[in-house]
Amino acid sequence: MNSMIFKLVAESTLQTIEMVFWSTVFSLIMGLPLGVLLHVTDKEDQGGIIPKPVLNEILSRIVNILRSFPFLILMIVLMPVARFILGTTIGTRASVVSLSIAAAPFVARVIETSLKEVDPGVIQAAKAMGSTNWQIIVKVMLPEALPSLVSGVTLTIINLIGYSAMAGTIGGGGLGDLAIRYGYQRFRSDVMLAAVIVIIVLVEVVQFVGNKLSSRLLAKR
Amino acid sequence: MQIRLENLKRDYGSLHAVDGVSLNIPSNTVYGIIGRSGAGKSTLVRLVSMLERPDEGEVWYGDKRVDNLSKKELIEERRKIGMIFQNFNLFSSRTAAENIAYPMEICRKPKDWIKTRTEELLALVGLEGRGNAAVSTLSGGQKQRIAIARALACEPSILFCDEATSALDPQTTRSILALIKEIQKKMNLTVVMITHQMEVVRDACDRVAVLENGKVVEEGLVSDIFASPKSAVTKDFLSNLTNVKDSIVKLSDKTGHYTLRFSSSTTSEPIISRVTKETGALFNIVAAGVQYIEDKKYGVMVLDIGPDGETEKKAVEMLKRSGVTVERTVLEEEA
Repeated sequence: MNSMIFKLVAESTLQTIEMVFWSTVFSLIMGLPLGVLLHVTDKEDQGGIIPKPVLNEILSRIVNILRSFPFLILMIVLMPVARFILGTTIGTRASVVSLSIAAAPFVARVIETSLKEVDPGVIQAAKAMGSTNWQIIVKVMLPEALPSLVSGVTLTIINLIGYSAMAGTIGGGGLGDLAIRYGYQRFRSDVMLAAVIVIIVLVEVVQFVGNKLSSRLLAKR
Repeated sequence: MQIRLENLKRDYGSLHAVDGVSLNIPSNTVYGIIGRSGAGKSTLVRLVSMLERPDEGEVWYGDKRVDNLSKKELIEERRKIGMIFQNFNLFSSRTAAENIAYPMEICRKPKDWIKTRTEELLALVGLEGRGNAAVSTLSGGQKQRIAIARALACEPSILFCDEATSALDPQTTRSILALIKEIQKKMNLTVVMITHQMEVVRDACDRVAVLENGKVVEEGLVSDIFASPKSAVTKDFLSNLTNVKDSIVKLSDKTGHYTLRFSSSTTSEPIISRVTKETGALFNIVAAGVQYIEDKKYGVMVLDIGPDGETEKKAVEMLKRSGVTVERTVLEEEA
């Protein structure tokens, strides 16, 4: 009995971790360049090094629109994308597609905010020394913003843990799925409780590690 | 490298930040550009250092015009100059040595070459062995030394100092200025020093241009400008320096108030006594001081001359004849 719950929860936890891990990776792959682009194309007094007002406005609008979608609805809207890429809309892998795309605009804003915190004087110094824009981004901007970026990624992962639970409601697998199917539909509140506790623990662990990492990076400076 | 500015102009909206500046900055000198905040110094340095393009005018480094370069040429040319800033602008993500290495990295210099050169530069600025220090653990003076080392990494021929000592205490300022002067001689640099502190000009510069409302109001050898300043701004800078401004006391409302400047040839003579003897003038000295610039003496004296207008006139004339620069000081109540 208890071992059955344990097995179910363990399995779902692994699925959640897998889902969150891959969607973090993919949302970063999409969101990082987008965030950098949002920042560097911004107005000069906002720290933009390649001001492109029109492009910036368009990107900003797209990001805002995607972010204002309720996540559950965005997941449903993105189902065809998952079907196109994987041939299915069910399971953890399909969830990763929707989760990544849904989290990417969030990641972009988080990255953009972190980059805005970089001291403009430092960027000016790098420019005065003859850095190319690419060198400024890769060798100055991103490293200077690293502690803040780590905090941003932590926040993203925590958000994705929450999102992944929601993905469970539309057959996405993981702890959310478990809580819905057993806890809600079969009135197994013990399974529900276990799932919730594991989610809380996951969030706590991620937050703890993220804080530690960020403050260790800051301490070195 | 000689720097030539021709009729530089830069507007921000309706503000003429830099309004027709022409300067000739000779090579191998420390050249000061002084002005109050808002005088256009920061814009000027951004124009001269190729960080910004002028609306009008030309910037020449030697025989090369640099204000109209393409993006690629601009990056190439920027690598040949060094620049230091008021807030040091060091990379907090890098150690002291990694900061110095940055300009060499972006020029794709070989790794072991960078390492040797970084050690050399740390020694040059007097921070041997501090290479692994995190930037935040360094003092202001040390940060500026690292910034200087970083600016000199690629052996530039020009060094721009944008208010480089404004965030430092007087003692550290002196040591940084001494270092800049020493390096200037060692590397035959042309140093352009932007500042609002006359002390910096006095202690470090050979020539100076005084900037006001985006225009150059006075330019010349520092020793000449200290001996006989012409523009009101310059006099104001000098009076702040000698600390006499606030101590002027009126003898009478009817008589004038004067600032006398004694250059090196007049400082060792008893001029005041002589004038008193011959004209019967009475001097009420309210403030006085002597400064040393490049081992030459300059005296400044603020006084009232009495007892009447006639005597005052005679005394002023005689002072002028004796080689003293005489200025009427406009007090704030009169202005």
